[in-house]
Amino acid sequence: MAAQAQPQPLAGLRRISLRSRLYGFGSIYGKSIRDSRLAFIIAAGLLGGMALVMGAAIGQVFPSAASRLEIDKLIGSMPASMVNLFGKPEKLGTLGGYMSWKYGALFALGTALWSIMALSGTLAGEAGKGSLDIVASAPFGKRRIALEKLAAHVTMLGLAMAVLATMTTVSSNAFGDAALGDRISPLSSLGFALWVGFIALFFGGLAFALGPILGRAGSAGVAAAAMMLLWIASGLQGLELLATVSPFHWTVNHVALAAEYDWPGLALVGVVAAVFLIVGVEAFARRDLGVTAGLSMPGLPAPVLGVRGATSRAFGDQLPRALAWGIGLFIWGVLLASISGTFAKQIGEDTSLVGTFRTIFPSTDLATAGGWLQLYAQLFVIAAGFAATTFVAKWASDETEGRLEMVLTTPMARARWVVTGGIAAMLSVSVMTVLFAAGIAIGATAGGVAPGDAILGSTYLGIYAFAIVGIGFAIGGAWRTSVAAEIAAVFVLVTYLDDLLAPPLNLPDWVRQLALTVHLGQPMVGQWDPVGVVACLAIAVGGVAVGAMGMRRRDIAK
Amino acid sequence: MTSVIRTEKLTKSYGTHRGIVDVDLEVQPGEVFGFLGPNGAGKTTTIRVLLDLIRPTSGKAFVFGIESSADPSAIHKRIGYLPGEFALYDRLTGGQTLEYFGNLRGGVDRAYQAQLIERFELDPSRRFREYSKGNKQKVGIVAALQHRPELLVLDEPTSGLDPLVQQTFFNTVREQVKDGATVFLSSHILSEVEKSCDRVAIIREGRIVRLDRVDALRDLAHHQVEMRFAGDPPAAEFERLQGVSDVEVTDHLIRLRVFGPITGVVQAAARLGVTDFLSREPSLEETFLAQYGRAESDATVGSPAPAEVK
Repeated sequence: MAAQAQPQPLAGLRRISLRSRLYGFGSIYGKSIRDSRLAFIIAAGLLGGMALVMGAAIGQVFPSAASRLEIDKLIGSMPASMVNLFGKPEKLGTLGGYMSWKYGALFALGTALWSIMALSGTLAGEAGKGSLDIVASAPFGKRRIALEKLAAHVTMLGLAMAVLATMTTVSSNAFGDAALGDRISPLSSLGFALWVGFIALFFGGLAFALGPILGRAGSAGVAAAAMMLLWIASGLQGLELLATVSPFHWTVNHVALAAEYDWPGLALVGVVAAVFLIVGVEAFARRDLGVTAGLSMPGLPAPVLGVRGATSRAFGDQLPRALAWGIGLFIWGVLLASISGTFAKQIGEDTSLVGTFRTIFPSTDLATAGGWLQLYAQLFVIAAGFAATTFVAKWASDETEGRLEMVLTTPMARARWVVTGGIAAMLSVSVMTVLFAAGIAIGATAGGVAPGDAILGSTYLGIYAFAIVGIGFAIGGAWRTSVAAEIAAVFVLVTYLDDLLAPPLNLPDWVRQLALTVHLGQPMVGQWDPVGVVACLAIAVGGVAVGAMGMRRRDIAK
Repeated sequence: MTSVIRTEKLTKSYGTHRGIVDVDLEVQPGEVFGFLGPNGAGKTTTIRVLLDLIRPTSGKAFVFGIESSADPSAIHKRIGYLPGEFALYDRLTGGQTLEYFGNLRGGVDRAYQAQLIERFELDPSRRFREYSKGNKQKVGIVAALQHRPELLVLDEPTSGLDPLVQQTFFNTVREQVKDGATVFLSSHILSEVEKSCDRVAIIREGRIVRLDRVDALRDLAHHQVEMRFAGDPPAAEFERLQGVSDVEVTDHLIRLRVFGPITGVVQAAARLGVTDFLSREPSLEETFLAQYGRAESDATVGSPAPAEVK
């Protein structure tokens, strides 16, 4: 009988340490954990930070039993569609109840976005780049590759949820009033974090399942669209049929921060998420590597893509993401503007409510549609700010992805590359802003109110985004493009947190004044602050100029 | 006559890392100049300084007599550049990409562009991201050639191309040279430089170690001699001779290298009763390996390792 040769371990090979298998280059899992450390730090920092900030803010703004009663009255007067969009209002007079209702969906949507990006990219993105071919040629199966990559994301998500749960309890103990029922138990925090994590895995799992078929962009797009659609469906009247497949609807009674639990509902979300993940693993294992169904974003017509010159090419490159951001903001604008009129009308008819709101929001006239939209100003500008950073990133990709060498060895000067890129980025901001303003106009009209100042007011998004573009271009041109978008994104975040945190933390006024957003006035109700507008435009133009000058001096990265 | 490319003690350091050191080059009009060296020797760094993509730490670089950092646009108007590694616009088709780069130069001769596309058998209707590696390289080549530049700067131009397309590429380059173009061709493939270049500079660890005509380099180098004897080859007799090295004996066969005149070896072989004698002019590839040693170069080599070296 012939003896079968067994592969012998090679002498002298170093044993792979457990540490490097868990974090490092000892395994696919370890490397995936290592690769996602920055995303984890940002996600855990944001989630934990937001939990702390919310606790501090609510404790400061609503410190007494009377003010808590006002909140209950306030919410009770809101249209059902608006209330349900955020979630079930339970024990709004407590820190947990209010935080869960007002910001719970924000935690879930933000975390789900992280999962969608991570799980659509972990296999499909790498397959698209071609690096997965090399990984897949390692001596283990595709199923194991998918499982290790998936396990890494679930680990990071779990750790981020642990941070969120811990910070929620810490926040309630540090800033809440036990007498008002503000204390949040570890079980409640855990229930909340589990809900956030399961919702994230639901949509992330959907992207993961579709990734091998649709590719990264297609799967992320479908999952993100499904997330927004199912969230809106769970709140808006008339979409009840669609709501039956919404995880937000399945868990509507799970208000963990208000000590109300619906574990079966939550378990259903977890089970469906697990099914998506299993489908994703199997689809990856069975399908050809990197071969997708070819469903991608619709292509733009050739004239729009821009090949006539540097500016048109740069704009053509930016246009798909300008349209993506613009359409997202358009939908958001339509949604909020359509219900703000009704709400403003209800407030306006009740003089006692007007008084209540004046106490809580002294600088905002909530009896107008514009006043309600102004309440969302911080969220609008943070979205516009992040959109601007993606335009910076696209411009920067000319250098980071290796196109710039060929472009700059044509007669195009370095400074011109920066200036044309800046013009294209600002045109993209303009496209996005116009779409947002159109959404406001259409929504307000559909809601039966005149949009009035809110349309012109929408341009403040663009003005702020111009400034972020300027900051990104200054960094990219004068220093390096590889960090330009990241630094601009940090600026957006710091500005947001400064504006949000400085008052409840009783920081000196000058600290809050450092935030650019503080100086924009209330444009949605027609109150502009010229200082902020001029500052934004100066930063935008100056930033591009600094970038152009800096670009003339430095080496081009390879 | 003004040199097309001239460098004076050109040095570029990346912090503590070596880039290039005191590089002196001069490329004449109409010349095909090979720039040869192993990976990481400093070829791309030199090219990037010449094109003002990076700035020298010290020394100067002139292209068409213009200092590269003084007026790069004036230089770029007259050159065609193919980087060693590049990416282009994923959403654009090959045709749109070529149109764009043509437009950046104020337009190109459409008929010649079409001729190049046809000659390289490039499908211009496909998106750049859908191309194979070789077809992406073809797009880069056509973009570099389509405006008939005065100077072609080509960094590892045949990477990813099959032998037939390589031949098409070199034929096209020769045509442009015939029309007056100058070519600066960087490569680590020695046979490629040997076939196509008039002069060659060899760079190693950031320094130019040899600069000469390709023919002269070959003449300066060794002869590879192979002799057969009826009995055991008298290796010691040959080892004593001036210019002989790397003596290797396999059965009745003796192989050796001869640097300089070969006369002494021929006379000794006749005296010692050689039955067969073969002298071969070495390829540049072998010259390169003899100069720098096999282990120190990652250049493409085809010759087998010696069985026994005395």
